[in-house]
Amino acid sequence: MPAVIETIAASRCPRCNLVAAPPTAYCPNHPVAMTPTEVQGIGEVVSFTTLHSPPEGFRSPLHLAIVELEGGARFFCHGAGTRGLKIGAAVAIEAVDDVYYFSHLGAIDRARLFWRRAGHAGDRVNAITRSLAKRVWKGRTRAPR
Amino acid sequence: MSDVFVAGVGMTRVGRRSEPLRDLMAEAAHTALAEAGVETPDSIVVATMNPEEFVGDGNFASHVASHLGFAEVPAVRVETATSSGAAAVYAAFAQVAAGLARTVLVVGGEKMTHLATPRVSEIIGRSIDPYERRYGATMPSLAGLVTRALLTGHGVGPREMAQVAVKNHANGARNPYAHFRQAVTLEEVLDSRMVADPLRLLHCCPISDGAAAVVLVADRRAVRVAGIGQGADTLALRHRRELTSFRATRAAARAAFAMAGFGPERVDVAEIHDAFAPFELISLEDTGLLPPGKAGRATLDGDTALEGRLPVNPSGGLKARGHPLAATGVAQIVECVWQLTGRAASRQLGACRVALAHSIGGLATNNWVTLLEAA
Ligand SMILES: [Zn+2]
Repeated sequence: MPAVIETIAASRCPRCNLVAAPPTAYCPNHPVAMTPTEVQGIGEVVSFTTLHSPPEGFRSPLHLAIVELEGGARFFCHGAGTRGLKIGAAVAIEAVDDVYYFSHLGAIDRARLFWRRAGHAGDRVNAITRSLAKRVWKGRTRAPR
Repeated sequence: MSDVFVAGVGMTRVGRRSEPLRDLMAEAAHTALAEAGVETPDSIVVATMNPEEFVGDGNFASHVASHLGFAEVPAVRVETATSSGAAAVYAAFAQVAAGLARTVLVVGGEKMTHLATPRVSEIIGRSIDPYERRYGATMPSLAGLVTRALLTGHGVGPREMAQVAVKNHANGARNPYAHFRQAVTLEEVLDSRMVADPLRLLHCCPISDGAAAVVLVADRRAVRVAGIGQGADTLALRHRRELTSFRATRAAARAAFAMAGFGPERVDVAEIHDAFAPFELISLEDTGLLPPGKAGRATLDGDTALEGRLPVNPSGGLKARGHPLAATGVAQIVECVWQLTGRAASRQLGACRVALAHSIGGLATNNWVTLLEAA
């Protein structure tokens, strides 16, 4: 069975357990080397915004979010949209050409996710998020530098 | 550690200025030196956030010193993004307190209005973590993320946020040095253009030119620097567990109050870094001036207005006085000194003995709290 959820490279502080994604060499709060780890591309929205005058090279409106991934890392990413989105909402993260997007998981997606985690097949979650991310991707004028 | 006093203050009118940056800084510096009765200071601390990009000049400490006729006076430049002015005051304080100098000129300034807004945003945005910037993060977008989180369960709603801007514009209308001198209504703020949802245009400070200066001395004067402290946090917003309170402010306030030997209850007036209106609410709680969750209600009730029990940003704040980056942290001290010495004209408060100035660098990565006391 193919992997259904994006795996994201991360690092963990052996002293305070802060998880950084993408990985960092040192913990931002401790002068200790981080241990490589991985986190799963699903999590909860910590906060989100829609920028109406984004910098050059980005299309308006630009949806941004910080998502707390399973495994503990807080992750900065783009999104397809924020309509109806709430803090704490479950989202999936997907990379398109090295740029990460979040997309909102509906009730059915979450149910499938539950079954997948329980050991059943449910790779449609990935298909759904991938198609959402692709739609965003088509709308982009140009990749960020 | 010796006591440190403020001997003189000065600032330019803030706004769209045609003069070169060094002339703005000279204007502020000369005013402060004249008031202090100091012809030549022992040392100079210059604050500019990014003169290389904004005006195309570098080696800016020597640039300013030579322009002022102080080519022989030791000068350094200090930079901590948008709190550079406060950092310069700290550096000057340390020189006097340590006995390295008896008179130090601090002068901060920035000139940006000659550049297009996207270019200014891009230059300021370089103070953001590179990974987050790669995703299009600007200061308003990070502030938008903070604000969205603040709107859930912190006693803050759209009206509380908007009232900060209404109050600060009303104060700015009384300040001849302010960039904006007109009042705005709650409805105008609530109806203004969305910038970074839920932040609107009238929640955000303007792009301004200006300069401010103070002279710190070892000899006894009317105002003493009672305490000063710095606090720091991660460059990346995503590495913080808490978005709605700034660790850098809490640490700075702790250090400043510890040095002063008194608590927030002694503070009569505060100048708070309101680059974005909700930051005033967050910072009032982080500095301990108001209990957690109470700043929104206190603002709506008028407690922080000029005639309230804790006037906040009598100058108009960054919102209305304007935000010429490295000038701001110094301009806050100027306003505090004017209030403590009864020279704030039509915005003068009643009896005040202790003033607090609070400055945020970047997205709260390098913050400062300074306490001034009528000696
Ligand atoms: Zn750590």
